[in-house]
Amino acid sequence: MTLVLPTAAPRRKANFTAYELTVFGVVAALFLLALIGPMIAPADIYTSNMLETLFPPSAEHWLGTDDQGRDIFWRLVAGSRLSLFATVLVVILYSIIGMIVATLATVGPRWVDELLMRITDIGLSLPGLVVSLGIATVLGPSLQSGIIALALTGWPMTARILRTTMRRTMEQPFVEGARILGVSRTRLMLKHVLPNSLDVLIVKWAGDISFTMLILAGLSFIGVGAQPPSPEWGAMISGARGYMSIAWWAVAAPGAAIVINAVAFALLADILQVRRDPSLQA
Amino acid sequence: MGVDTILTDGIVPAQLRQRPEALLQVDQLSIDIATRDANVRLVDNVSFGIGRGERVALVGESGSGKSVTAQALMRLNSRVKLSGRVQFDGKDLLSLSNSQMAAMRGQRMGMVFQDPMSSLDPLMTIGDQVAETLRIRGVSKREARQRALDVLDELKVERAAERLDSFPHEFSGGMRQRVVLAMALVGEPDLLIADEPTTALDVRVQERVLDLLDEISRRRSLAVLLITHDLGIVAGFADRVMVMYSGRIVEENEATLLFAEPQHPYTRGLLEAVPRADITVDRLRSIAGAPPAPGARPSGCTFHPRCDHAMAMCSSVEPGETITPLGARVRCHLYGAG
Amino acid sequence: MAYLRLISQRLVMTVLTLWGLATLVFVMIKLIPGDEAQVAAGPGASPEQVASVAKRLGLDMPVVQQYLNFLLRLLRGDLGTSVVSSKPVLTELAAVLPSTIELMILASIIGTLVAFPMALVAATYRGKAFDGITRIIAVTGGAMPAFWLALMLQFFFGNVWRITPISGQHSFGISSPNLTGMPTLDALLAGDMVGFLDAMAYLILPAFVFAIPFAAQVFRLLRASLLGVLASDMMLPVRAKGASTSRMVLRHALPNSLLPTVSLMGVLIGGMVGGAILVETVFARRGVGSFLANSVALKDTYAVLGAVMFVGIAVCLVNLVADVITLMLDPRIRGAQFRVGAK
Repeated sequence: MTLVLPTAAPRRKANFTAYELTVFGVVAALFLLALIGPMIAPADIYTSNMLETLFPPSAEHWLGTDDQGRDIFWRLVAGSRLSLFATVLVVILYSIIGMIVATLATVGPRWVDELLMRITDIGLSLPGLVVSLGIATVLGPSLQSGIIALALTGWPMTARILRTTMRRTMEQPFVEGARILGVSRTRLMLKHVLPNSLDVLIVKWAGDISFTMLILAGLSFIGVGAQPPSPEWGAMISGARGYMSIAWWAVAAPGAAIVINAVAFALLADILQVRRDPSLQA
Repeated sequence: MGVDTILTDGIVPAQLRQRPEALLQVDQLSIDIATRDANVRLVDNVSFGIGRGERVALVGESGSGKSVTAQALMRLNSRVKLSGRVQFDGKDLLSLSNSQMAAMRGQRMGMVFQDPMSSLDPLMTIGDQVAETLRIRGVSKREARQRALDVLDELKVERAAERLDSFPHEFSGGMRQRVVLAMALVGEPDLLIADEPTTALDVRVQERVLDLLDEISRRRSLAVLLITHDLGIVAGFADRVMVMYSGRIVEENEATLLFAEPQHPYTRGLLEAVPRADITVDRLRSIAGAPPAPGARPSGCTFHPRCDHAMAMCSSVEPGETITPLGARVRCHLYGAG
Repeated sequence: MAYLRLISQRLVMTVLTLWGLATLVFVMIKLIPGDEAQVAAGPGASPEQVASVAKRLGLDMPVVQQYLNFLLRLLRGDLGTSVVSSKPVLTELAAVLPSTIELMILASIIGTLVAFPMALVAATYRGKAFDGITRIIAVTGGAMPAFWLALMLQFFFGNVWRITPISGQHSFGISSPNLTGMPTLDALLAGDMVGFLDAMAYLILPAFVFAIPFAAQVFRLLRASLLGVLASDMMLPVRAKGASTSRMVLRHALPNSLLPTVSLMGVLIGGMVGGAILVETVFARRGVGSFLANSVALKDTYAVLGAVMFVGIAVCLVNLVADVITLMLDPRIRGAQFRVGAK
């Protein structure tokens, strides 16, 4: 009876501001550095040079040297692959776990959904760092243990968010249509529901990388993650802590590297989030 | 009903008729919004007036710009750019400072919104929300509460005294809409803008709310601008009707004349879409197609792609405003060169 | 009684969560490489000691029986025994817990005092320079590794500028009788202003380390939440009443944003317990975190798992309290009991 008819929404083009492009550029550069870092770093960063220990930053050693006389700048460059890729690996691993849980909860019978979401709730309310610490202690201190521990504790948020989006996608007309046409559940899930739910995750990933990098470094710092003399940044800070009062740069530099990465990914997450929800825009 | 109009005895063209003293005068109001890519014109060169105590309806489909216009009159939406002139009781609203404009709101002009479910603060009591209009003006707590109570009584909210301290979730939709009305009326404004005030309510509650509005507007000689997509609720209420399409007012006339002799093909389409008790129809005719998006309006007359009477010139030449012998202000090539 | 039902739902959820955690800890104990009795008795234990520990823990029984015994021991408050000190883990933790609580309280206060005004101003002047700058500061503040921040603050404020003490909880010789386990509160109770200021000086840097990411997160959520409320349909009528922006923010947006913010603050304060592992270690403060870190360093696995269980319980309780506060703040739920009762 009324004349409320849909109007076509004007298409939005993706125009990026200079600020956004800068953040994208920095993130890309960080990935590139992680990729080529270990290849361009000189070999002597793994060996001691007792003649050049604890040099402050200079033209020759941009960020100074550590207690073994190793160049800190090049150790950071070499370690960027370990730090960033380990972080990304953790996020990939727990995203896979989260996807499996969410998919099972969506396609499975009601009790499976109920059970999995209860477990997810339990996982959500546990302190991730503390449980990871416990797991890593049991597994024995190493970077692998840290990665496994964080993968095992990180998935619940992903599972919960994905399940909610999947449920919503399942109710969309096009999925309904496909189901009526006789497309199998599994195929429907893999071809339609999962891809349509992913854009939610992409925003989350950027924030997750930032957050996970901090926790992973924290585990190394306590001593259950990567062990010195590994150039993983958390381990570098842990190793340099003892002589910080005479060579503060050995602690400051790897920390700054973590901050640069974590901030870059956090800003990326912020940008992506605002793009999804323009009401947050400043 | 032919396109040509008949000048009947006793019907005086609008421009000759005695107009009530203008309370609100809108001249050449345009509303633009800047998106990431471009400037989009939501409302284009709209002019109209509302007299003291007069009841005017602004009718159109969703997306026609009627709500944007309503909000612009009170400068509620800070994200749009307004140009033109809006005079209220001799004051140019668009040139007021923000705080001067805030002083007009609630006191001189009140507004009621579509969805009473989301129009109230869930965490504040009904009494406080109604009294807030007065508290902003520095009215004492006691007096504001008393006046809030009076307005709720006037709006026939049962046991209003006991319910001042209730929260919105304890009220039904119709009751909430009365609370929203009370918030707008407690400051005793001269103009009430009601944006789809009954759309979210069921039919019986709709009628009751409209009757209340009718009663109060007469008693207080309150001018009302009723914004709606539903011509059905306009008939018994409005003195004058303006029809909006795609950001422009395409027809304006006295309510009785507009209903009896709709001029613009769009108005006729709208009227045919309204179920009427006095006419038996097999099915409701509605207008084919959808109104254009504000950023993608057709050239010429923006209605031409949906118009049964479209002529060659309609797609290229924008129709100007014509006053027909019946007193309608129309934008359509069927009525002279404009 | 909708209100009581919701609270009991939360309670059941908390119990379930703790049961889940207990199960997880049990599985971890079983996964420890090597002989469990040997690990529990410590590396230097004699064969007789190992045998007695094995008997005490019932390691000869079937796994299901062991699991039930483990749960029963937890219910009695037995979180295991530290190999290093031979004391019950719970006793050790109870002694250091107040110190951690003191730190968390001060950090939450500082963080709240920073975040709330900033978020309110940013939301009021949305899109202005202040809003943009604070947003970037908040993102940066939230992306700081806590232990590194602790090290840097300690180095510059303590070593270089000598504004604050470097580590510990109070100066040598200044100590009030230990009543609560919180040095600042103890000093206040003893009426010792010098002692209070001294303990405060030791507390302030670690508190800031926690307060910075806390404030950053609270700021971001509160700002987003305020903007969400301000953009909602609810605000148009308020604006139409003639309310100023500050009134809209303070009277309407803030109360409505408080619900999600309090929930988040609960989660964040719970998370601080985890962060304490790093920060307390850096500042050499007694506390739950440094106990955990020490146990890790000493390879005292049982103590680590006991402390993990303990922290899990603490975090769940903080979350529970935050949930209950959230429920009480909401008249839709708070009022329910009266309405139902009236009918």
